[in-house]
Amino acid sequence: MNDEHTIETPKEKQNRHKAMEAIAVLNSLKEDFKSPIKSMDYFYDLFEKVYCRHEPLHEGKTKIGTMCIQIPSEIIYALDGVPIRLCNGFYTDDEIGSDLMPSKSCPLVKATVGLFASDNFTDKPDITFSPTTCDQKTKAGAIIGSLGHTIIDVGFPRTKESEESRHYWRESVKHFAVELSKFQGKKLTRTNLESAIKKVGYAQSLYHKLTDFRKNKIVPILGVDMFLVTNAFFFDKIDGWISAVEKLVAELEQRVIEGVNVVGKASPRIVYTGSPPIFPNYKIPLIIEESDAIIVADETCSSNRMFNDMVAVDEWNLYDMMDSISDKYLKACTCPIFTQNNDRIRRIIQLVRSYKGDGVIYQAFAGCQVYEMEQRSVLAAMEREGIPILYIESDYSPSQQGQLTTRVEAFIESLKNRKRMKK
Amino acid sequence: MKYFVGIDIGSTAIKISVADENKNLIGHKISASGSMFYKYAQEALTELLRELGIDEKEVVYTVATGYGRKLFKEADENISEITANAIGAQQAAKEYGEIKTIINIGGQDSKAISLDAEGNVVNFAMNDRCAAGTGKFLDVVAMNLEIGVDELSDYHFKSKGTPLSISSTCAVFAESEIIGLLGNGHSVEDIISGVHYSIAKRIVKLVKRVGVKENVYFDGGPALNGGLVSAIENELGHKIYVPKHPQITTSYGAAVLACDAFFSESES
Ligand code: SF4
Ligand code: SF4
Repeated sequence: MNDEHTIETPKEKQNRHKAMEAIAVLNSLKEDFKSPIKSMDYFYDLFEKVYCRHEPLHEGKTKIGTMCIQIPSEIIYALDGVPIRLCNGFYTDDEIGSDLMPSKSCPLVKATVGLFASDNFTDKPDITFSPTTCDQKTKAGAIIGSLGHTIIDVGFPRTKESEESRHYWRESVKHFAVELSKFQGKKLTRTNLESAIKKVGYAQSLYHKLTDFRKNKIVPILGVDMFLVTNAFFFDKIDGWISAVEKLVAELEQRVIEGVNVVGKASPRIVYTGSPPIFPNYKIPLIIEESDAIIVADETCSSNRMFNDMVAVDEWNLYDMMDSISDKYLKACTCPIFTQNNDRIRRIIQLVRSYKGDGVIYQAFAGCQVYEMEQRSVLAAMEREGIPILYIESDYSPSQQGQLTTRVEAFIESLKNRKRMKK
Repeated sequence: MKYFVGIDIGSTAIKISVADENKNLIGHKISASGSMFYKYAQEALTELLRELGIDEKEVVYTVATGYGRKLFKEADENISEITANAIGAQQAAKEYGEIKTIINIGGQDSKAISLDAEGNVVNFAMNDRCAAGTGKFLDVVAMNLEIGVDELSDYHFKSKGTPLSISSTCAVFAESEIIGLLGNGHSVEDIISGVHYSIAKRIVKLVKRVGVKENVYFDGGPALNGGLVSAIENELGHKIYVPKHPQITTSYGAAVLACDAFFSESES
């Protein structure tokens, strides 16, 4: 006995843990559902490559880390950088970050901090920009900086409607562009910004095409697959992503013609809102879709909120473009960090209407104050509208699975019941 | 010659160790316990002594341990399996170094024991509520995969892909998970390394409850499984020591205690 095998280094162990988390979810996506989509393989392979085999995607490129969707990727692309959004869904990293954050913190933020603390990136950002959105993100930026990483704050206002906020944010975005342009040694020009806006805009238009299919009575794509596709946008090569989604759109068109349904005839249609599901934390979406319901739309910053609103440019000159970009990120944002957030409620209702949702599932990460706090107003609004809603808190730990499943199943069954009664 | 016997009567097996005056392990025997364990224990002991060519009269002190210890009336003394395990581990690892932490995976339960500098048990944690993280679990897995328990290790080291975690903590549900994975064409190797890592994670959690201090000793039948040993080492981030006969540490500890007890009695 006692054969000599070497023991993993902490990084190897972290990588293995993450690979195990990743593969379990990928296997569920691939194997737990009927009628898998051929062109999803691109995305399954992508995540396996990055998170199981830890193969970098962007060697030789400058990687620009972003702590939240508020950092305009258009400007990063224009300046020849690769945006890497660092919102993190790994429980492995969450556990590492727990040592640096208060115990009741947002798992997403803890996981991001944990990733920086371990300094174990597949594609390590050369510089990171941190918008001062929620408190935890804001303070996490400081922790990350103290660990010796280059991180720059980008001031973000917490009221949305005022002229002062708008002005402040426009200045912040300019400041960000200046910093990045210095870092890259490259000038922002009318041409490079215009083409970046158009490229990101095209990616957004593909997302719209994809999500439009979900308005159909027969839905050709699962919500979990949609989350994976939008998550890939966090870090994938944009051209690779675009051509993969083009193929996906074509396949879905075909599916619609053939009437391929990914779920059952009576499966309730769910609109998903709240703290963002980020790979591999697809716990709640998977529970929902494994309980015979389908997510037809979402209002989260890992998906819909990232793509929904386009940059609207009147005049294609640099100043106008910059302002239009700033406005898109501020005005369109429905993140609960804002003082008033009626936009979010309006958006949810609108999604329920246009995607014919039977109910809403609202997930808040235990430890995320703003999503927890906004629960009341959203629940009240849904009640007024007669839209059934389930509110659940969860974190990244694999432990409460059973309880969560029971709650979600009960909700879905009640939706089925309602549907039957209506008939 | 004087000989000392330690007998560990567990729920699935009876383990007997015989030590000499220098506390060296002379021989051991493992047999199934079953419903008539008292009779079996008697028989096994007689048989072992015959094999070793030891006259029953030469056995001067016997210590019983394990769940069934109180029913073995012939013993001169009985002690808990925790203490016996601690004594046995220290003696078995004498050449290796001082043992501060013991991991024991039995057929039905698993334990983590923490020792002080004198080798006294200062803390222990135990999982006996479910089969996950026990030898039973490995038996079930091997059976599902239609291989022998002793082959698990080879498969583990042949795994090339990502270990596939088994999320169920219950052997019954894990069984259906494994069948599902097989059905979807996953390799037996990756399933097995996944099972080992799932058990290892659970064991390491248990060990952390008592605190991890080096050196760490691992005993119980599953310690023969090199794949599981490696998984636990990786999860722990430390090397662990596995004795030559990991299944009998506890009965060996009882035999060592028998020796000590005999000499301290005859001194006084
Ligand atoms: S929840 Fe809000 S603050 Fe957090 S990442 Fe999403 S948009 Fe940014
Ligand atoms: S979930 Fe809440 S705490 Fe976490 S990043 Fe988003 S707003 Fe911040």
